[in-house]
Amino acid sequence: MTTTSPPVATSPPPARTRFSRGAACMVLAAVAVAATLIASIGLGSRHISPLDIVHILLHPNGDLYNSHVLWTERIPRTFLGLLVGAALGASGLIMQALTMNPLSEPGLLGIEQGAALAVVVGILYLGVTDLQGYFWMALTGAALSAVLVYLIGTRTNTGSSTIGLILAGVALAAVMSSLITLMVVRDDAAYAHLRFWSVGQLTGRAAVLDDVLPFAAAGLLLALPLGRTLNVLSLGDETARGLGVPVERARLAAAAVAVLLCAAATAATGPVAFVGLVAPHCARMLAGPDHRWSLPLSMALGAVLLTGADTAGRLVIDHGEIQVGVMTAAVGTPFFVWLARRRNLVRV
Amino acid sequence: MATAIRDIPSAPTVSPRATAARLRARRRAHNRRTAVVTAVLAVFLLGFTTASVLLGGVAHIAAADVLPAALGLRTGLADYLIFQLRMPRALAALLSGALFGLAGALYQRIVRNPLATPDIVGISAGAGAGAATVLLLAPAAFTSGPPLAALAGAFTLLGAVYALSHRGGVDTYRLVLVGIGLSAVCTAYTNYLFTIADQNDLAVVMRWLIGSTNGADWQGVRTLALGLAGCLVCTALLYRPLSGMALGDQLATGLGTRVRPARAAALLVGAAAAALATSVVGPIGFVSLISGPIAGRLVGGERALALAPLVGAVLVVGADVLAQNAPLISPVPTGVLTALLGAPYFVWLILRRRHGAVS
Repeated sequence: MTTTSPPVATSPPPARTRFSRGAACMVLAAVAVAATLIASIGLGSRHISPLDIVHILLHPNGDLYNSHVLWTERIPRTFLGLLVGAALGASGLIMQALTMNPLSEPGLLGIEQGAALAVVVGILYLGVTDLQGYFWMALTGAALSAVLVYLIGTRTNTGSSTIGLILAGVALAAVMSSLITLMVVRDDAAYAHLRFWSVGQLTGRAAVLDDVLPFAAAGLLLALPLGRTLNVLSLGDETARGLGVPVERARLAAAAVAVLLCAAATAATGPVAFVGLVAPHCARMLAGPDHRWSLPLSMALGAVLLTGADTAGRLVIDHGEIQVGVMTAAVGTPFFVWLARRRNLVRV
Repeated sequence: MATAIRDIPSAPTVSPRATAARLRARRRAHNRRTAVVTAVLAVFLLGFTTASVLLGGVAHIAAADVLPAALGLRTGLADYLIFQLRMPRALAALLSGALFGLAGALYQRIVRNPLATPDIVGISAGAGAGAATVLLLAPAAFTSGPPLAALAGAFTLLGAVYALSHRGGVDTYRLVLVGIGLSAVCTAYTNYLFTIADQNDLAVVMRWLIGSTNGADWQGVRTLALGLAGCLVCTALLYRPLSGMALGDQLATGLGTRVRPARAAALLVGAAAAALATSVVGPIGFVSLISGPIAGRLVGGERALALAPLVGAVLVVGADVLAQNAPLISPVPTGVLTALLGAPYFVWLILRRRHGAVS
């Protein structure tokens, strides 16, 4: 059996050490988030000097071009990136804890494709045109595909549910992206829209911030108190039941929060893979197995990862930029391969 | 007691001659079955190919014009449609299907797992990334570049996947996981190229994302035909070592098979087959996954490897005819239909298959 976290029973460090370690990690993470925030606002394909930026921030003046760029594009984009990254980080950690599967990740499990499929159905057949509508479609699609992948993945005979889930996710993602192509291939307008949506990017999504904020914020607030529940659930269903936890209800509630977060993130930026994989693992490495610390840390790291990747994507090439989905894939793949190579992952 | 034992009818003594006769009879029956299956598949293939040329896509030619044009008796629009559009397309579908089928069957044979096909292991994604790079970033090399770049991409990815999943031997599932990871990064890269592509190039480049026979030309058909011929010759040369390896590596080594070179050669031939097909028609999904098992179901055992290319060809040409002519959905890229057909089978496979079983 692969466990997401090292067994809790083995030599638990004293509580005070844990606390100070977790607190130290959180402080570092807060610094990293602040640094990413500043970098993302300050750096971009259009060079604006730091002094100008401070001036613009203090004296908002919509008339100047630089001010316009900053207030309508870079700042909302930065906050959107932080929000979506935090949502993906939390969603990934909850999924990994619930499935006891170190490779669980919203993007890899085909859940984001499910959200995309639902959005396309909404555009083409239900006359959905506004971002709120997109969001509800994405939420429905994400929930349905999460249930489907889980049902198939846990019933496979691959010898390990870890791999079963991934394979089921890959197969379902293939079917769903085929269906998407089938529907949009003759509709040029829908196709042009989807072509950019399906890469996963923050460019031009600034307007989405207001619509996504309530859902993502609600999801994050609901996720924060889940740490204790996840700790108990990771002891195994029997033990958790013995401790008086209503296991089924707790699982369902945590899964609902994970799907809400993933759907909000996907509705906002399109599929961004690997953030929900890398952030939770780094968080656990830093903070240890206690989910009360690793959950907020995973949110912070997800935010840093996504916004950092987005900022880097703006700087690597001279004209234009590399979409954040491509950047996170480039960062996340080595990590995924490293995880896949760990001996205890593949049970033979 | 002794008499009682003597009374029990002794086991039928089997003369070597009778055994040989029975084996001959079984082989004859097997041969007959193989011949019948091959003939039926060939009829299907011929039918689908003819349908593809006659029905074509959106543009309709009067039936009276088709035959003369097909025989080269008339020039003009009908002639152009038949010779420049439909025939290359049908042939590209046929040949690429055969290549995908061959690649899948080879990989399934070597790795002894129906999941380990070139598209799952990521070779198609690598080939697509290579081809898209040349098409979009170095259009000067347009005419001969894409197939070579696809080969380079496929071999690079094969090497990377193999090296990265090697850890005291290559476990199939680790191979598949690493392949999924690496194909994710290749797909992201191809997607990125796709978003910076010129609007005019999109129709061409789209093939490298989904897989479509639309726009195949005689140049592509030539590439595929030469590639298929080469890969079939190599497979024929490898047929005997591969049959030996079916007994297990140790026994095969004992019988004089040089296992490691044979396996490496087979992996390279499979990668080359998948890459060549991908370079012309794009990653037509799941054909390499389902051709081998279907061939195995039809004739069983050793001969599945030889029949898989035929099955693959029938699948892709059939899907292509559907993609062009099916009501409500056509025209769509061929790869969409094969994925809709193949992915559910893939799910069935991971649900049904006992762990470690050799298919």
